Amino acid sequence: MNIQGISPVAGVLGRRGLQALLVAALVGTLSFFLMRMLPGDAAYRIAAGRYGYDLVSAAAAEAVRVELGLDQPWYLALVGWWAQLAEFDLGTSLVTGHAIADDIAHQLGHTLLLAFCAMALSLLIGPALGILAGLRPGGAIDRITLLGATVLRAFPPFVLGILLILGLSVHLGYLPAAGHGEATSVVLPALTLALGLAAGSCRIARDAFSQVVNSPYYAFGRTKGLSDRQVLLRHGLRNAAVPIVAYLGMQMVFIIEGVVILETLFAWPGIGHALIHAIFWRDVPMIQGCVLVFALLFVTLNTLVDLACLALDPRRRH
Amino acid sequence: MSLAFQVDELQVRAGHNVLIDALSLSLKAGEALTLLGESGAGKSLLAQAIMGNLPSGLRASGQVRVGQHTSPAGEGAKRRPLWGRQIGLLPQEPWLALDPTMRVRDQVAETHALVTAVRWPEARTRAAHDLDAIGLAHARDHYPHQISGGMAQRVAFAAVHAGAAPLLIVDEPTKGLDAALRDDVVALLQQTLAEGGAVLTITHDVAVARALGGSIAVMQQGQIVEQGDAASVLNAPAHAYTRALLAAEPARWPDRPPTQIGQCLIQGRKLGKRFGHRLLFEQLDIHIHAGERLAIQGGSGSGKTTLGNILLGLIAPDHGEVLRAPGLPRQGLQKLYQDPAAAFAPRLSLGQALRDLIRLHRLDGRELGPLLTRLRLSPSLLERLPGQVSGGELQRIALARLLLLKPAVIFADEPTSRLDPLTQQETLTLLADTAETHGCALVLVTHDPDIATRLTSTQLQMP
Repeated sequence: MNIQGISPVAGVLGRRGLQALLVAALVGTLSFFLMRMLPGDAAYRIAAGRYGYDLVSAAAAEAVRVELGLDQPWYLALVGWWAQLAEFDLGTSLVTGHAIADDIAHQLGHTLLLAFCAMALSLLIGPALGILAGLRPGGAIDRITLLGATVLRAFPPFVLGILLILGLSVHLGYLPAAGHGEATSVVLPALTLALGLAAGSCRIARDAFSQVVNSPYYAFGRTKGLSDRQVLLRHGLRNAAVPIVAYLGMQMVFIIEGVVILETLFAWPGIGHALIHAIFWRDVPMIQGCVLVFALLFVTLNTLVDLACLALDPRRRH
Repeated sequence: MSLAFQVDELQVRAGHNVLIDALSLSLKAGEALTLLGESGAGKSLLAQAIMGNLPSGLRASGQVRVGQHTSPAGEGAKRRPLWGRQIGLLPQEPWLALDPTMRVRDQVAETHALVTAVRWPEARTRAAHDLDAIGLAHARDHYPHQISGGMAQRVAFAAVHAGAAPLLIVDEPTKGLDAALRDDVVALLQQTLAEGGAVLTITHDVAVARALGGSIAVMQQGQIVEQGDAASVLNAPAHAYTRALLAAEPARWPDRPPTQIGQCLIQGRKLGKRFGHRLLFEQLDIHIHAGERLAIQGGSGSGKTTLGNILLGLIAPDHGEVLRAPGLPRQGLQKLYQDPAAAFAPRLSLGQALRDLIRLHRLDGRELGPLLTRLRLSPSLLERLPGQVSGGELQRIALARLLLLKPAVIFADEPTSRLDPLTQQETLTLLADTAETHGCALVLVTHDPDIATRLTSTQLQMP
């Protein structure tokens, strides 16, 4: 059992580790070329970021160009960037001069907090409603949650965020609209993200659960003499959880996209917020660092999802 | 002996449609009652009506008595507290009835803990004993996907048996099982009888009824047409339907005369195949001649289907080679699948499936009409979806579909193991007849030695 139990885990870790390396190499290279292809003179933008638009002159831009080696041919710059990556050196910000790794480590904490709160909230809302809907397919809860999920899914996160700000902070004054000064600041962005996530997981949970309830093993649990509650707890939840957890892997895309948009909307000092600003200021190393961390975050979270699936479903272990 | 169970004047209706009519049965402790009948005769509905879990839309009337507990048949919810405690139900297709995410020991232990209210540690010990007693000591900590269908059958039995219900209802316990596994199931049921339990078995397998003894009730179209003790019903059947059912047992089929055999179409030389560490076969030689009828025989998991797929060129052997006669096109080899429902697109009408085939291969669509007539299929069936026709009809439509391609070899993989005996006989006879008319070789995979010897002239026994 032990040998059988360990090898699939090692398999997941090995496969995902290799994937992380490939993703880092690909994303690092792609982000380099994308930044090179952006229109406008990067030296001007960086100079404006440092000194303000009013104080930028051709001479200041030229000084930046020489200082940062922006006049190098692209292939030299690319090789330099690869060499840095290989040493886990993300470089320093062109605008602030801080080490990127330090900046990102700080921002990553905020982003993870937001993502974690959103995920936890969505798991409280989505699967719970989905299970209620799946117990009686076609019933009132099923139809209401279908409507709710469709509407929520149809709203882009920033529209939903603005609606929630208008409702919960401007009209009712329950929650701060933006920033991160108070403990309750995380609620609005997390809720915005969670509602979109819950809309998806609710429907998946509903389908998973109605399938489990109609399965022969669920019927057997009942005819064995177990009560409805006992069958639900012993044979329902774990089986229904398998597709729901697998679906979380797909939701990672939604989370990362949502984090970038919502951090900006709610002025939440995470990586998404930093990424958008870095793009404005052509702070190439910062952009590359953010994108790289997002990509690795994506691989890490998917690894966790894979491991959770292995733990839940013995069929995947053998 | 005390009365274990009784139904009086049971009727089950769907709207105005009467599915089971005026049915009365009773059974004493320690006795067996076997309900025989074809698919769709309402046998499984009877089990559901007794349990009280009829599908929604069906209404029941009459009385059901289980032990000392009597309730109107229509009030099924009143019998829910009896589940597991007074009535045990052995599920159909036990492999699917076990929770795939729970170890088998826990699935037995939960009956001890939650139904007979033993403490958990004690329940787990008892479950281990139960599994040891039926020869599954080594599989205690396995998950259902790690055990065979026969082992799953025994685990399901242990899980039901742990509740110690005096009445055991068994619904089609041998569906899809080979002869050895069928004997296993029968032995478990006989053990229950010896312990003083009452066993109500619902089946279309006459062999099970014969082995269990006790009394037999024969059901046709929702009514009991004959009832009596097993020996007299089986040896001197009074009703025409009972006689037809008994005659449909493969052991009683007439032998088919051998056919004219032509040149060799497919030759397998020194074939070998393994799955993981398990060797299926090695150094196996096989020839299939034009017009021949050949059976490939063997128990579950012996590699019958795999050998067939190698001969068809669907998978490659590990060793050896398959030679096809020159000029034999790929469509010249056709396969008839075990589960016809899985061989049709579920949301496309049957007619569409056939028309698509005719268009794809530029066939002559005028051949379809006579072919359907020969296979005793009404053209109106083609407007339906695969789920809306019976299993026997669907298998014949699958046969029509492959005959359109004028195959030289038909490879039929347990084509009737999910059908009841009368339908099985009809379908297999028709299969052999049409193969002969069209001059095709027929390779039949079967676990039933009687079918093999009655229907084919050459038999290959898998190791």
